[in-house]
Amino acid sequence: MEKEIQFRNPSFAQRLKGMLGVDFYRLFHTPMFYIFLAISAIIPAMVSAMTMMSGPDGAPTTPMYSNVWQIIAASKPLYVIESIADYANMNMVFIFGGIMVSIFIGHDYKSGYVKQLFTTHAKKQDYMMSKSLVCAFAMACMCLTYLIGGTVGGLLAGYSLDMNVGSLILAIFGKMVMSLGWASLYTFLNVIFRRYFGVSIASSFFFGTGILIIGVAAIVEKLPIPTAILNVFLYGSSVNACLVSNIGTLVVCILVSAAWTIFYNVVGAAILSKSDVY
Amino acid sequence: MNAVEIKNLSKNFGAKQAVCGLNMTVPRGAIYGFIGENGSGKSTTEKMLCGLIPTSGGSIQIYGKDYKNPDVRAQMGVLIEAPGCFPGLSVWDNMMLQAANLNLQNPEQSVVRTLKLVRMEGAAGNKYKNCSLGMKQWVGIAMALLGDPALLVLDEPLNGLDADGMRIMREVFTDIVKDGKRSIIVSSHLLGELQKVATHYGIIRHGKMICEMTAAQLDASCRTYIALKAEDMNRTKLLLAGKYTRIEEDEAGFLRVYDSVSPEDVVTYLYGYGISVTEIGTDKISLEEYYMDLMKGGN
Repeated sequence: MEKEIQFRNPSFAQRLKGMLGVDFYRLFHTPMFYIFLAISAIIPAMVSAMTMMSGPDGAPTTPMYSNVWQIIAASKPLYVIESIADYANMNMVFIFGGIMVSIFIGHDYKSGYVKQLFTTHAKKQDYMMSKSLVCAFAMACMCLTYLIGGTVGGLLAGYSLDMNVGSLILAIFGKMVMSLGWASLYTFLNVIFRRYFGVSIASSFFFGTGILIIGVAAIVEKLPIPTAILNVFLYGSSVNACLVSNIGTLVVCILVSAAWTIFYNVVGAAILSKSDVY
Repeated sequence: MNAVEIKNLSKNFGAKQAVCGLNMTVPRGAIYGFIGENGSGKSTTEKMLCGLIPTSGGSIQIYGKDYKNPDVRAQMGVLIEAPGCFPGLSVWDNMMLQAANLNLQNPEQSVVRTLKLVRMEGAAGNKYKNCSLGMKQWVGIAMALLGDPALLVLDEPLNGLDADGMRIMREVFTDIVKDGKRSIIVSSHLLGELQKVATHYGIIRHGKMICEMTAAQLDASCRTYIALKAEDMNRTKLLLAGKYTRIEEDEAGFLRVYDSVSPEDVVTYLYGYGISVTEIGTDKISLEEYYMDLMKGGN
């Protein structure tokens, strides 16, 4: 009589738990994560400090911000930027995050880890989800270090602390929630361009800057439709999480982030399933 | 039930057909030597079997189940080309990550046991990037062995191994299949090594399986020949070539007579021309020679 093989069928939760364990371990054991946390803290501090630097004639330049928190979020939803101050806020984390995700996922392919992974019971959607969650966590952490760096930099620059605390907290939460959507987009882009690391990183940077939506916003502003329609995009919702945020803003961020996460995860998994793993 | 049954498998890369209508059967408990030239479709077949690239047609069954089933995949150990390890992490960490991906219940125990099996327990703390080629190969094999898979697929596992490493590998292979449950598919260009351990063979050419056989069938198919040395080798060669249909000189300087004839007949024949045979014996052609014959269109 033939001896039988005992087949195990790991549940989705078991598979995801294993994969998340691996990805979190890697995240915490790679210097890249800590470097990006530091970058996220240093950049806003530097921006704050530079806005108070003297001009060539020794006279102080006009401060770009009126208070500390404008380095965290814009004072209103500014889809079309008029000055660098409108742009230089916590949304920059999504640009740094894009580069970090590209490096993180690029290592998977460069090392051959994906090959090792997909010969096990791991499914493509598990991979998309695990990467999205871990990278979203990393970007949320970067939002926090950005907050610390921006606050310290703003205080050192002598900006005021006056602000509606509730709106500020909702704006920060809103941006942190958006991390999941951004992380899913970057995971998706890196899956698409998995054989071309340079293209992955360039595309992540390109989408992270939100330049496409800024361009669309310039057109929408001239049309008789509300610019709030731009909130359906990741960049739009990220901009919408500003210093006049309310609970509705946070709800929009949650919905938009979740919707794009599902979209990118489903499409990314389908592409991975129909193409060579590496 | 066979460990692997592949029917009419095909794979196209654009207009190029890498695998066309391939059939393959790997019985349980087999060490299946998968042989073919470079570009013959071996690795492509293995990658399809392991789910790394989608098929263009045909079916793959592993232990009677579709190869895409997660429970089937959980029972596979794979080493294709190079191990997929993070260079900055230690051998131990890489093994533990794979154990986590496999959802092993006692990951530490499994990793310790597997590293011991491949004699790598002393290198567990080494960073993967600092390992030698042979050690990296062993790490890849150890990762494939994690979780006691029912089916091992190893692509060129003997690359980079020294003679002792190859001996250990043979022992490991034999140990894995001894319960008759588990099977190994191993492709290698080191046919001499493969012949020492394989129980079954599949030979692929231009994406098609041209023959499958057991080791016993190969043994029966490998023609017996007479190898001899005589006083005047040039004249001996001419005389033998005049009488027998296939004569070859091997690397050791022996003349080989492949016809169905006894050594006594050859000695008597040469003696009739005044030539004394100094050494004579019979032997069988090796897997490598059989394979080369097959590739040249011989039998």
